[in-house]
Amino acid sequence: MPVFYRRLPPFHYVSPRTIEEAVLFLASHAGESKPMAGGTDLIPNLKRRELAAPNYIVDLKGVEELAGLSWHPQEGLQIGALATIRSISRFPEIRRLYPSLVQAALSMASPQVRNRGTFVGNICSGIPSADSAPALLSLNAELSLRSSRAERTLPLTRFFIGPGETALQPDEIVTALRIPEAAERCVYLKLSPRHSMDMAITGVAAAVTKSRNGYSDVRIALGAVAPVPMRAVRAEAVFKDRPISKDAIEEAAKAARAECRPIDDYRASAAYRRDMVYVLTRRALEQVLVP
Amino acid sequence: MQNTERISIRLVVNGARSDISVKPSATLLEVLREDLGLTGTKEGCGVGECGACTVLMEGEPVNACLVLAVEADGKHVETIEGLSDGDVLHPIQQAFVEMGGMQCGFCTPGMILSAKALLDENKSPDEEEIRKALEGNFCRCTGYTKIIASVRDAALRMRK
Amino acid sequence: MDEYAVIGKRLPRVDAKEKVLGRARYAADYSLPGMLWCKVLRAPHAHARILNIDASRAERLPGVKGIVTGKDFGGWTWGFMANTRDEPPLAYDKVRYLNEAVAAVAAVDEETAEEACELIEVDYDELPGVFDPEEAMRPGAPVIHEYRPNNVSLEYHYDFGNVRGAFEESYLVREDRFKTGRVTKGYLEPPASLAYYDPAGSITVWPAKQSPYFHYRHLAACFRLPLSKIRIVQPFIGGGFGGTKNDSVAGDFCAVLLSKKTGKPVKFVYSQEEELSVSKRRHPVILYNKMGVTRDGVLTAIETRAVADLGGYTSISPLSLYLVGFATPIPYKLPNYKFDIWGVFTNNPMSAAMRGHGITHSRFACEIQMEMMAEELGIDPVEMRMRNGIDPPEAGGIYRTINDITFKTCGFKEALKAAAEDPVWAERGRRPGKIGPVSYGVGISGTAYLGGARQLGHQSCGAVVRICEDGTVNLLTGATDCGQGSDTVLCMIAAEELGVRLESIDIKRVDTAYTPVDPGSYGSRVTILAGQATQRAARDARRQLIESAASAWKVEPGELDIRGGFLFLKSNPGKRIPFEKLAKMACYEGSGAVIIGRGYSGYGIEPMDFNTGHGNGGTSYSFTAQTVRLGVDMETGKTEVSDFTIAHDCGRPLHPISVETQNEGGAVQGMGQAIYEEFIMDKGVTRNNTFLDYKMPRSTDVPKIRVIDIITDDPDGPFGAKEASEGSIVSSPPAVISALHDATGIWFKEQPVTPEKIVKALKDAGKWGSS
Repeated sequence: MPVFYRRLPPFHYVSPRTIEEAVLFLASHAGESKPMAGGTDLIPNLKRRELAAPNYIVDLKGVEELAGLSWHPQEGLQIGALATIRSISRFPEIRRLYPSLVQAALSMASPQVRNRGTFVGNICSGIPSADSAPALLSLNAELSLRSSRAERTLPLTRFFIGPGETALQPDEIVTALRIPEAAERCVYLKLSPRHSMDMAITGVAAAVTKSRNGYSDVRIALGAVAPVPMRAVRAEAVFKDRPISKDAIEEAAKAARAECRPIDDYRASAAYRRDMVYVLTRRALEQVLVP
Repeated sequence: MQNTERISIRLVVNGARSDISVKPSATLLEVLREDLGLTGTKEGCGVGECGACTVLMEGEPVNACLVLAVEADGKHVETIEGLSDGDVLHPIQQAFVEMGGMQCGFCTPGMILSAKALLDENKSPDEEEIRKALEGNFCRCTGYTKIIASVRDAALRMRK
Repeated sequence: MDEYAVIGKRLPRVDAKEKVLGRARYAADYSLPGMLWCKVLRAPHAHARILNIDASRAERLPGVKGIVTGKDFGGWTWGFMANTRDEPPLAYDKVRYLNEAVAAVAAVDEETAEEACELIEVDYDELPGVFDPEEAMRPGAPVIHEYRPNNVSLEYHYDFGNVRGAFEESYLVREDRFKTGRVTKGYLEPPASLAYYDPAGSITVWPAKQSPYFHYRHLAACFRLPLSKIRIVQPFIGGGFGGTKNDSVAGDFCAVLLSKKTGKPVKFVYSQEEELSVSKRRHPVILYNKMGVTRDGVLTAIETRAVADLGGYTSISPLSLYLVGFATPIPYKLPNYKFDIWGVFTNNPMSAAMRGHGITHSRFACEIQMEMMAEELGIDPVEMRMRNGIDPPEAGGIYRTINDITFKTCGFKEALKAAAEDPVWAERGRRPGKIGPVSYGVGISGTAYLGGARQLGHQSCGAVVRICEDGTVNLLTGATDCGQGSDTVLCMIAAEELGVRLESIDIKRVDTAYTPVDPGSYGSRVTILAGQATQRAARDARRQLIESAASAWKVEPGELDIRGGFLFLKSNPGKRIPFEKLAKMACYEGSGAVIIGRGYSGYGIEPMDFNTGHGNGGTSYSFTAQTVRLGVDMETGKTEVSDFTIAHDCGRPLHPISVETQNEGGAVQGMGQAIYEEFIMDKGVTRNNTFLDYKMPRSTDVPKIRVIDIITDDPDGPFGAKEASEGSIVSSPPAVISALHDATGIWFKEQPVTPEKIVKALKDAGKWGSS
């Protein structure tokens, strides 16, 4: 690009107080408005002109209904759209019942960014390496979405469509992430060259619960190795009606490697990412599965 | 579009109230540096990757380059200029001076504020915790060694 | 160290307080009333002819006050040597690397200037580009500069002794290809400047420059003004490390020209992505190294053939390439040496100086190759280095290499011994070699670096010590503290010589209207050269003070001394007055005296030749032995560096806090070069121009670092000092790579050694997990 920008492009700023107000505005200004929560993704994108500047930035932080972070024994975990990454990493029930979410949260960027950024914002970016995505996918997270037209619920597995592309409509916002059921054990492993401030080269999350027939329900999700964060369903199938064993883990790790679809890019080659899927999947399973 | 819209906001910076009129697209960093003349907060990268622009907003460290000024309306913001009591250095500043926790000094304001946020919450951080708390603050000169030592020393001073 | 009152003491930096208070002002912190903002427009092609620039739409944008293009500089170009003046402030006929600057706008605010740039229309005729130096040398490659039809900007050929004969008689000879990566300085503060062109015919600038006098000469030449009319007022500098801040960039020239055109002050600030895309970075060098040894591992000969990627312009490459080759005969005795290097243009961003300039490439290749030979011969790596290391010269003696490098002190073997006895090396056998998937390794390196560079052109400097009537002291020099701590060291030298406390010395920031010229902060020269000038200036002031007191007390000057802030009679120390009173007495003598001490560096220049490689690149040389302990995850390749021990002979550390920090920072920067950092280029496009993807070490990446001082008290340095700026960035990469070999069994010959490269190498060697 011929100009390196230091300033943001011009836009108008609106600050709705309710979900209704927010979605009505998005509907009436369809195509020229963009919602914002933490801004840690939006602002750099706008500054770099990677995103066409919208006429309106709709700041959702004034909408209290979106700010919740709560857990109930029956309903499970609800992560409001505005829950910051930091607050997620400190929430007692998340630390106790969903530690992979804490691992994911603490692997993201920096304290400064975690104080502003949100999990919902992270998944709405639709980037294949989004660190919150694998753990959420492995925990069967669902999204609640609202527009002026309708309210809907979508499993996270159906939310990611392509790199940078999600099922979120332009007049829609995510109001919350829901995780109905806790896992017995879960983990998120992130691989990158440094120990901080890197995007994942490969991210693997695993979660296990005892299913009704006594065998394990294993969920494995992969990040940064496909056009979208994905569940490794063939790897998961290895454990259907089968006892845990070292061989099963090995087989699942190889299956995950075979089913991921990484590309060569300047951060890593597809071959390396595939190999790392094998390594991280094996390690993640070794951590969550006890024979 | 012409950037003529202005929004009136109230910032409380280092305890002092400022009523100013800002563009929607102005970042908190720009407003601090250019409207309020507080140039202690630096711009290193403008996109939240270096921490040179770290300020404390409602006590939490944030990258001022990623906060729109309008988002800071009504919030308490602490910059490096607010840390000392006139010329009397805060213990963290004193520690950085004694231990030599800087070279060029460009990352120093951000480092010190991140350190303050850590020490306000955790009086006895171990080395891992110090490093993790500073992971968003980039330094090219020092190799971080004396910065980490300064934070450790600051913790000692603050516990006294 | 007790012999000195100030030198060698762990005192805080003189600028520490300003920095922690946030009061230190850097270039971007300056403003002037009526100031305009400058924005640079860059080219979207790596190699293209500029056909036409139409700025009319931009000119009509409200708020735009001026626009300049390459033509406005009248064809002026500059360069390091008289015959390499190929660099224009803005491209005017061709662009030779992606994002080269082609125009600039001054407007009432930065947003308007940015918008105006979007409205400038440039017609380009895109040309085929070449991005690999070996390809660029081949016939038929696109020609980048007409004056160098084969794209070779310069070449050197050094030949000492008889390498061919020596190889024939060697017990073992190795030939290997090494490669250093594309790395950059990575300072946090992007280039910036505030410039004002006074219509009366003078320029004042507040720029982020670590060598302001280069910039002042550039501006004088570009704007055809006398040097006396160029005023560089130096702000604090947010890091230098050579390269860009030693030079002038497009924004610098454009801000001045736009100020001239508009009559207003003009400010520019680059973005970090801009800086990472176009910065002058270290040359990537390919080295074909051949080394011979005897049965006992004693070096017989080295032959190096190197190709350096210059990027689009020559810049400081004549010096860089000399530095790659001239110092190979240290720190090991070398009787035969041949060196051939070609500096080749490509359509990549420019290469230039960077900390560890030149020597880092050849030292890396020779160190690793020597370790490989030690392994083949079954000789312990420390023993190998001891057998070859240069011994300290006798007191009063001089060691001379085959190419006439000379030095009087050499603590190399002492440094090696200290590093070998330190637990990181000494206890390596007692610590686990493998825990889970992580394999641990310990490595060692032995390196040398020049100090007190004074290679070409104007290399002298001066200092002025002003005694104020109340006994406080102003120190003026042209030497720049870009973070390395030179202001503190120079104040310490002045305080020590004057016999006062450090707090009494106030050093003024460089202002070329008032401070004496100084070549700049590069080549680890400031402590040595500006230090000597300061020492002499302080002695001159002290002499005047003592003479005045001698006259007042009616004694001989030799009977008086100043120490600890007091003037006293040596034979009766009870007869004394505080320095403040001495100053008052001297200054108010008669109708008053003005006590000004002046000093100049007196090192001069020795015969030295870039073309033949003869002579001294510096006044003295530091020697470093470094050990590294790290762990490699043998499945992912991820490396965790846990320990550095750096035994560094800097003569005598004058400001220990700074010497340690220089070593720590340099070593971490070197670690970045060894395992994390590289610009990933794709036909001239820098793919990773952000801090996210150009991976410099963060707080969680750095090892525990121990610095051991090796004291050799060099007679040529003030208080025995030698350089403490670049040694550890040179010692780090080979030590890290030596440790990687210990951990993985693999010799890596290309930097950086990333996790992916480790996994690939392990797979190729059949050492990686299951398939």
